[in-house]
Parts: sequence; structure tokens; C-alpha cells
Amino acid sequence: MGYSGARGGLEAILAAEDLVRRKRDHAPAPWASTEQITARFRLAVDRVMGEAGLYDEPTAAAAFRQAEGDTLEASHLLRAQRSTLPRLAVSEPVDPDEMTVLRRIVPAFREPDGPQLLGRTSDYTGRLLERPEGPPQPPPETAAPGAAAGPAERTEAQRRPGRFLDLLRKNDLAVEGRTADDPEPYDITRKPARPPAERSAVLAAMARAESGALVALWYRSVLGPDGDVHEITLGELRHGRLPLRVRHPHTGNPVAVGEFRVTEAEAVEDLDGADEDRTRFDVGYGLCFGHNERKAIAMANLDIANRRFGRSGPLEQLLLLTIDGLDSGGFLEHLKLPHYVTFRSMVERKQAMRAAAEAGEDPPARVAEPAGKDCR
Amino acid sequence: MTNELSRERRCALLAEAQRAELMELADACLADGAQVRLLVGPEVGCVTAQVREPVLAQRFLLGDVLACRAEVEFAGHRGWAMRLGDDRAAVLAAAVLDAEAQSGRPLAADVDLLCERVASRRELRESREWAELAPTVVEFEELT
Repeated sequence: MGYSGARGGLEAILAAEDLVRRKRDHAPAPWASTEQITARFRLAVDRVMGEAGLYDEPTAAAAFRQAEGDTLEASHLLRAQRSTLPRLAVSEPVDPDEMTVLRRIVPAFREPDGPQLLGRTSDYTGRLLERPEGPPQPPPETAAPGAAAGPAERTEAQRRPGRFLDLLRKNDLAVEGRTADDPEPYDITRKPARPPAERSAVLAAMARAESGALVALWYRSVLGPDGDVHEITLGELRHGRLPLRVRHPHTGNPVAVGEFRVTEAEAVEDLDGADEDRTRFDVGYGLCFGHNERKAIAMANLDIANRRFGRSGPLEQLLLLTIDGLDSGGFLEHLKLPHYVTFRSMVERKQAMRAAAEAGEDPPARVAEPAGKDCR
Repeated sequence: MTNELSRERRCALLAEAQRAELMELADACLADGAQVRLLVGPEVGCVTAQVREPVLAQRFLLGDVLACRAEVEFAGHRGWAMRLGDDRAAVLAAAVLDAEAQSGRPLAADVDLLCERVASRRELRESREWAELAPTVVEFEELT
């Protein structure tokens, strides 16, 4: 144990770690295999991949098991594992329009291009707890509800539907923000981003943010003290697979090396500012690894909120500095380490103040915070 | 399909093939004693997923995807492979098969047949997937 101000305790630390291993790995219950975790706890696995910033289901499942179901701890393990790995390549720019959808809804409009595809969801049903005695019976051989009409026609437009944003553009309802320049994306894994930051840094920070932190910040931005009142309309939400391509080292052409799943959201913003185009909408964008709809929706709303209000208030700073789970959780967890010296010095200051007061001495003048430091 | 398969398409299908089928065919390719030399790896690392988002068409880095790559020289031809995940043996086998296909050696046609099977399997999987998804297409009624 090498934390400053205290040392030793090695035997107790090893015994504590051993207790974790024995109770976890030899619990009187069947072993949870990696396949079982990825199949039965897929949303937790997806959340861990997203918050760690590393996509690999078996590795995330192993981290989830080792962390005893603590998703933040699992993300920590995964990010530590990632730090040992070389970067083999940066992919060719992924075009989200290539997504093969597994779920796609357009809450803003009844008849978008392509289907409203509910996919695998319980969004529209009541939350009733089921407590089966054992494993459920295998599903009947008969087709699923609604599938009686025979094999479903499968078209490109159904699997890769046009996006709602393009429909807004077609109807001249979206402001045009695309420009000819193409800046290199900021890599937050190599250098921490600090405000003012490029949008690519903010998007990357949100993509691997702790989901709860991002949702809480979104909720604050809507209802909270910052005054960034804005309409919230979810334009589109998707879950699906995207191809990952790299340059082939011999031919120089793009080659697909596999697919990864993402959740994508578009948030439609009703522009109402004095210097904004009030005849059109603007759109915020959210994308994260795996199936994590709350995170993608919060990200899309915060993207447009940040573009509108990020620098007139604290939002950009909050997005860059407070939503990373390992940053905030790590700082919080360090409080559990021995702070004997720190606290003893605080006690001694109190005792010195009390002694001075009892002796009738004036208390020492309070030293002001350095100029420019905002003390709250 | 064999005549139309580009190098990139073959690599993509080998990246999707199952471990056992890759290794079985790679072992068969190696059985005649042709010289094989490792040039790269097999090594596990990350491919950083770079996305061009559709709103402002700006690129950003979404995160890393675990991947494994290998490069070999086999029978005088270079073979390269990259697959998602961390299966070193499978990616090495895929690199050998890429070299076999490049060389035109006796089992080159078998490599393309394997790719054809992988492509058919993918098509079947997507059909089954859509058969499960299609009943969830909804048309909510609008209350006016």
C-alpha cells in the first residue's frame, strides 16, 4: 500500500483480497460463464464497454464477473486492460448511415423513411416483476406474435432506413452546419481535453461517460439552475450494427474487419434565440457503444445544448471534467484510503485556534484564496 | 463467386469465419511443408473507431474495438489478416489462408469456398434476424 502518509498493512490487504476472491469465485452457486454473462446481462456488458471505451463483449463480461456486478469497477478493469494494448489502427471514418438496424424508432414523426421498428424492447409494457422457480420452458415452435403471415420481406430500406435528419433537410427544416473543412478528431485518450475544446473532444467524452452522470447532467441542463431552457424532441433512436474498416496494408483499400453494435440518437432542437434561425430546427447527435438508449439520448440532447449554451455557462466544462466515471468515482473512492496525517493536521489547527482563543489572542488573519481562484 | 472475390472481400469474410474452420483449412495448407514465416504478430490490440457523425459531418473518436492481426510470408506470398477479438490462433490461420489464396496454390480454391460458406451463413443469419424483427414493425395511430 503506497498511498502517501501511511504504509504497511500488506498482510491485511492480501487477506482482504483473498476474501474477495474466495467469496466470489467459490460462492455456493453455479459458475457464471462468460457466455452466460454476455447472453443474460447484455445491457450491463454493453454499459461497461461504453464507459470503458473498449468494445469486446467477452472481455467486458469477464470484467463484470470480476467486479461482482459493479459496472464502474468493471469499466475500470477494462480501461486498465486497454491501457496495456497497442493501437493497431484508426478505422476509416464510420458512416452511421450504414447501420443495420435492430431497433429504430422516430418518436417525432409517424411515417419516416423506413419502418418504425420496435425491436427488442419492453418500453410499451408494464413493469411487473417475474420470479420464476427455475429456468423457463423452451419457447413453443409456433411463430412469434405477428409473424403468422410467413417469411418477412427484407429490403435495404428496412435494414438501413433513411435518417430523420435527412427528411428534415429535404423539407428545408434543418439548419445547415456542415462545412468543407475536416478537422482531425481530438483524442481524449492521449491528452485530456480542457475548455474551450473542439466538439470532437466533447463527443468522445460523452461517448465514454458514466451513463448515470450523463443522464443527471442532461436532467440538470433541462430543469436545473443554468437557465438553458430548451425544447426536447427525440428525432430518432437506433440500435444496430456498424462495420469497422481499416486500410489493407498491401492494397491500401478499406477492408471490413468486423462489426460492432451502437446506439444512436438524434435530438431535435427548436431554435428560439435572437441570433438563431427560428424558421428551422437544429439537431444534436449521440452515439455510444452497445445498447444504451438513455446514454445516447442524453448525449444527443447535451450535444445540441453544448453547441448553443456550452460556453455561455458551465456546460462545456461540466461535460469535459465531470462525467467520466473513472475520474469522479476514482476521486470518491480514494477517500477510503487512510487520511490520518491530513486529518491530524486539521485537528491540530483547530486545537491551535482554540488555544489562541482561550489565551485571549486575536485569531490569525484569514489568508485569502489566490487571485483568480473562485472559492465556493 | 471465386473469380469475383477481391482481396478485401476475402479478408472481410475470413475475419468473420469460425475459428475451427480457419484452423482446419490452414493446417491443410501447411501440410505440404511449404515455408511459413511470421512477419507481424499475431498481436492483440485496439482499432480506434472513428465516426463521421451526420449532423455537422465532423469526425470524432468513439472508442476502441479489440482486434487481433497477423502477417505471414507463406510459400513466397504475403498474407495479412485482422479479426475482432483476441483469438491469435484464428487470425494467424486467416493470414495463412490469405497467402494461400494469393499464391494460387492447390488449396486456394478451398479458401474461396470457405469464404462463400461464410457469406451464405451471414445471409441466412440476417434473414432469420429479420424474421424475428419484422413482427415488431409498428404503425401507431395518430389521435387528432
